[in-house]
Amino acid sequence: MTVRIYWELDPAAEPRRAEPVLRARWSQHLSDPRGLASKRQAYYAQIARAAAMSAFDGLYIRYRPESDDSQILAATLALHVPDLTLIPEFPASVGSAVYAVKEAVSFQRSTRGRLGWAIAPDRSITERAAEGDYVAEDDLLARLDEFLTVARGVHGQTGFTFKGRFFEVQNGGFAPPLDREAFPPVILQGTSEDTLALSARLGDIHSFEPAAPAAFQHLADQQRRRAAEHGREQAFAVRLDVTSRDTPQEATQAGAKGLAGSHEQVADTLADYVAAGAAHLILSGSPSLEEAYRIGAHVLPRLRARLGGDRAAA
Amino acid sequence: MAIDFFWRLPTHGCHRSIRRSTNDRGDWSPLTPGNVAPGLNSHGEDDGFRYIDHLAEIARAAEISGFQGGLIPSFPMTDDPWVISPLLARATETFRFMIAFQPGFKNPVHAARQIASLQRATQGRLLFNIITGGGGPGQLWWGDSFAHDDRYGRTREYLDIWKGLWANETFSYQGRFYQVENAGLSDLLRAEDYPEIWFSGSSDAALQTASLHADYYLSWMEPFDQLTEKFARVKAHTAALGREQKCAVRVDIVARPTEEEAWQDLRLGFANAADAKNAQASRATSDSVGVQRQAAVHQGAAEKFEDLIVGPNLWSGFNLLRGGPAIGIVGNYEQCASQLDRLIASGADGFILAGTPHLEEAYRIGEEVLPLLGHEIDRTTGHASESSAAVSAAAG
Repeated sequence: MTVRIYWELDPAAEPRRAEPVLRARWSQHLSDPRGLASKRQAYYAQIARAAAMSAFDGLYIRYRPESDDSQILAATLALHVPDLTLIPEFPASVGSAVYAVKEAVSFQRSTRGRLGWAIAPDRSITERAAEGDYVAEDDLLARLDEFLTVARGVHGQTGFTFKGRFFEVQNGGFAPPLDREAFPPVILQGTSEDTLALSARLGDIHSFEPAAPAAFQHLADQQRRRAAEHGREQAFAVRLDVTSRDTPQEATQAGAKGLAGSHEQVADTLADYVAAGAAHLILSGSPSLEEAYRIGAHVLPRLRARLGGDRAAA
Repeated sequence: MAIDFFWRLPTHGCHRSIRRSTNDRGDWSPLTPGNVAPGLNSHGEDDGFRYIDHLAEIARAAEISGFQGGLIPSFPMTDDPWVISPLLARATETFRFMIAFQPGFKNPVHAARQIASLQRATQGRLLFNIITGGGGPGQLWWGDSFAHDDRYGRTREYLDIWKGLWANETFSYQGRFYQVENAGLSDLLRAEDYPEIWFSGSSDAALQTASLHADYYLSWMEPFDQLTEKFARVKAHTAALGREQKCAVRVDIVARPTEEEAWQDLRLGFANAADAKNAQASRATSDSVGVQRQAAVHQGAAEKFEDLIVGPNLWSGFNLLRGGPAIGIVGNYEQCASQLDRLIASGADGFILAGTPHLEEAYRIGEEVLPLLGHEIDRTTGHASESSAAVSAAAG
């Protein structure tokens, strides 16, 4: 099994960083060549390059309505990290499913197929009303179902026609050369029975929140069976906030929120997740730039050595 | 008042020459070895380039030769402007991205956040060409099932929401087609400039919505009398509401050192398009959108070349050579400049220009034609050319 490792870019994290307007020099006698111009985009690009240089396979870009948009960011960064996969997270409320695929096709054409789709959970009823999204709570999964069905339909067929409750298409589909691109792998998340059932039919990768490797294996095995009932193979991802230091004590002192330990311990645990069925590791750390280098330098080589050993033994 | 010139990014391929109808730059026609952009090297192997690389070159050419930016069209067979713009954000410095967009294809609040984010990614270089679709099967291809007659009403509400989000910290709206409750952009996003809106559409309903929301009312090239009348009507309508309405023209140009060369290129293009049409008629029918569109383009190719000359230096057969507006400007550099001057006199405050091939013609028109303009402005303002004044100031 090839394991792919992604670094998380959270546009809302460390919001004051690279925004001179939010942290201006105390005295006007202290020069600042930036003026008040935002350097945030250049900062995102640094995180992306940090992930590329420290041998991550891709960037997982969180959906943060209060900050820069994940899909716009993915495209802004794509040509500056020539090999990274870019996985923006976004909800099924973004608009026309056809339009979303059309954007995906252009992205794929321009980046040699480096796009992934991570569907973000729907937001609260109040937040949805603020977006003019009045789909009832009980209908949200049905809307996601149609969104993905229509997206895959217009991508895979010409003359695709569909009339559902939320989306309608007539004679959809792309003509050459727009019909040559792979559909972006779809990552779904959530643990409700209905969500998992939908994911088994329409998701390529199901992402589970942090749980111990044994618990992860249980979830993954169950979900694998669900997908098999539909004649499908699904891959699994684990999302982990990682604090890795030279010693376990230092990691504890760093105020860890997630997986914490020495570089050896973290690499061991990640290898356990892989053994439990995780083919995709979505890692995050704070601050994002510095931790990308730290984990890239200390954890990934150890992890890959272990995985390489496993492969050799198998 | 400064006149702004935009170029166009051909998001559905480009031709090496206006004489040919195949899109031989880009993969909309089969790639052949040695194709300049993108795809195959002379051995027929992947050369590592993609069409986006060619679009980046066109954007750079437009930027270098003095255009504000370019229109990025959106049709079923094109690449998408919401993706092209951020992809090219860091490949250019001043190029402004004019996204062609039909309100309704994205959730309006989500789209507003994307706009702010794009403004941040481009240092405020985003603007829009707002299009209101025609309805029927064409709209349903896009997954847009809006069946109401009042399409411009929907466009208006959509833009009301965009504007409302920029003007208010929190914003609620009860429209017929859209409702939002306590919507808002974060301070970070709302600090960005609201994008300039160029608005297309010729019906009364379109003009009404334009008067509320458009910075520029955009028209395809039409005979001068019609255009003058239309622009005057639009400006009067908006003035009555206490706003100023600028007008703009989208027009293709074939500019050559001599008028004969310009006409000769078009004659050859016209003949080749007719040949292509005959060849196509002998093939089986196809349900491909691209083929249908090409077929529609070539309808009427039986007309005589001369019949399509609708005025001095104006030819109305451009739609036979490519999709889009029929009337374009043809001539030597001075003649083309003088036609653009006439358009300025007709009320045009901005232009979206295009020529084939888009890369080389951006240079030609930017360097050979645009510097010749301005006589009309001088005549109407009654003082010496601003540029010559600037030149003498620099010399002094």
